Amino acid sequence: MGWTPDLSYEEFLSLAKTLGLNVEEPHRKELFSYIQEVFPGLRKIEELDLSDLEPMTFPSPLSPSREEGEERES
Amino acid sequence: MTVNALELCYLSMSELGRLIKKKAVSPVEVARAYLSRIEALEPRLNSFITFLPDHALAAATQAEREIQAGRYLGPLHGLPFGLKDIYYVRGIRNTSGSKLFDHFIPDFDSTIAVRLRQAGAILLGKLNLHPFAYGATGENLEYGHMHNPWNPALIAGGSSGGSASATASAECSFAMGTDTGGSIRIPSALCNLVGFKPTYGLLSRYGITALSWSQDHSGPMTRRVEDAALVMNAVAGYDPHDPTSVDLPVPDYTRGLTGDVKGLRLAVPKEYDEVPIHAEVKKSVWKAIEKLGEMGVTVSEVSWPLYHYHMSIANTIQMAEASAYHSRLIREQGSKLHPLVRLRLEAGVFISATDYIQAQRARALFYRQSHDLLGKYDLLAGPTLPVTAFEIGVRQINIKDKRTPVVPLLTQYTRPFNLNGFPAITVPCGFSESGLPIGLQLVGRPFAEETVLRAAHAYEQATEWHRRRPSL
Repeated sequence: MGWTPDLSYEEFLSLAKTLGLNVEEPHRKELFSYIQEVFPGLRKIEELDLSDLEPMTFPSPLSPSREEGEERES
Repeated sequence: MTVNALELCYLSMSELGRLIKKKAVSPVEVARAYLSRIEALEPRLNSFITFLPDHALAAATQAEREIQAGRYLGPLHGLPFGLKDIYYVRGIRNTSGSKLFDHFIPDFDSTIAVRLRQAGAILLGKLNLHPFAYGATGENLEYGHMHNPWNPALIAGGSSGGSASATASAECSFAMGTDTGGSIRIPSALCNLVGFKPTYGLLSRYGITALSWSQDHSGPMTRRVEDAALVMNAVAGYDPHDPTSVDLPVPDYTRGLTGDVKGLRLAVPKEYDEVPIHAEVKKSVWKAIEKLGEMGVTVSEVSWPLYHYHMSIANTIQMAEASAYHSRLIREQGSKLHPLVRLRLEAGVFISATDYIQAQRARALFYRQSHDLLGKYDLLAGPTLPVTAFEIGVRQINIKDKRTPVVPLLTQYTRPFNLNGFPAITVPCGFSESGLPIGLQLVGRPFAEETVLRAAHAYEQATEWHRRRPSL
């Protein structure tokens, strides 16, 4: 459950309530505008090919990263 | 004492430390000089949230006794400093820049506070910040905005704005900041300081209010590169209280400050030129890179295609983690938060678990490409910021006839290195026509702090930018 590009204002209000946010007027309109402004930029991640990648929860320099073309260990 | 009080406050840490060691000045005399300066400048700068004159004088008196008795603790002994007000110090209130925590007094110390105390440094107070460290401008409606010593009508930068204004104006000998998207490097560059964000895991995060656990870094803000190395010597190293702390030997970070950079390979990502930047900043930074070239560094241009993805990845992670950390606060006291901070925290609630995990997978890709890039070079170089300090309250800046929001603009060169955790430093490299500071950012491989400090120090010593002082 989260933001989608076609999220309407009514759906946003319903989602905000479900997520436990207590947003009153005029703040709720500001929050909706802010989300509509910021979230499209976050979707740029969808352009990346993430197949074969596991989440990196912390930058972990000591974990060896797989080099380009290197075979995966089984 | 032969040095007047103002000159004493502006001495570098190494110079001041030498005077204290040979008993040419006393820690009490030094503390009094800084306390007077703070009292004189605070009405204009507002660097401090909590000022601790009695605490400082008591600690300075103890330092003086220890030194007189022959128990000298090292280069930080007797040096007055400030902590950003998100580093817990037992028994001293910690506001995190929000009145919601105006009366919160932690009952334990952050590891960094403990290590600085053990090194004999004297805490002068807790420094102002953007509320919850969630902002890049150093604006705070509740405790008052931070002001740039080079022109108090302008931002000091954020989120460690008080740390920057205090250090740049010699209200303290050095300060500690934190950096999640650039919050050490941004205010340091805007105020003509050295700001150092070491590799993720090298400095403990224990006892520091979190913003984004996986991108938060601690680090020193100083007037000289050697001073940053001295602070690193005192605070770096494994901490079992921090689950992401790395257990590696800690070198003497001053050892490599030889001035010799011959043979180092430096790369400038061409993508840095594909984002908005003011022409005079670009000119100064390129001159600095050329200077490094004249000093024997090999300079190349490289391509870093994933650079353009860092903002989406880092923001998704930061928004989700910040909202999770402040979850209860958002739901129970949201209406009492700083309006912009509230918007950011509430928006993070709308990031789904899938979005967060996808961003972490993208971080793995970003990390791999950064790692490969620095496999061929010792350093990446570029601007710390695309602009100089601007007026408090400004939300958009015009660059080449295009209006750009200030937050993504201020973090466009710094944030990639919070995402991958690589060590990054800003060092003064010029001034605008209107007399405002400009910073050069140098980035190294993970745990190559010595290389980063060596290059920054060599450049600093070959130039005069760090010697300029604001006319307060």
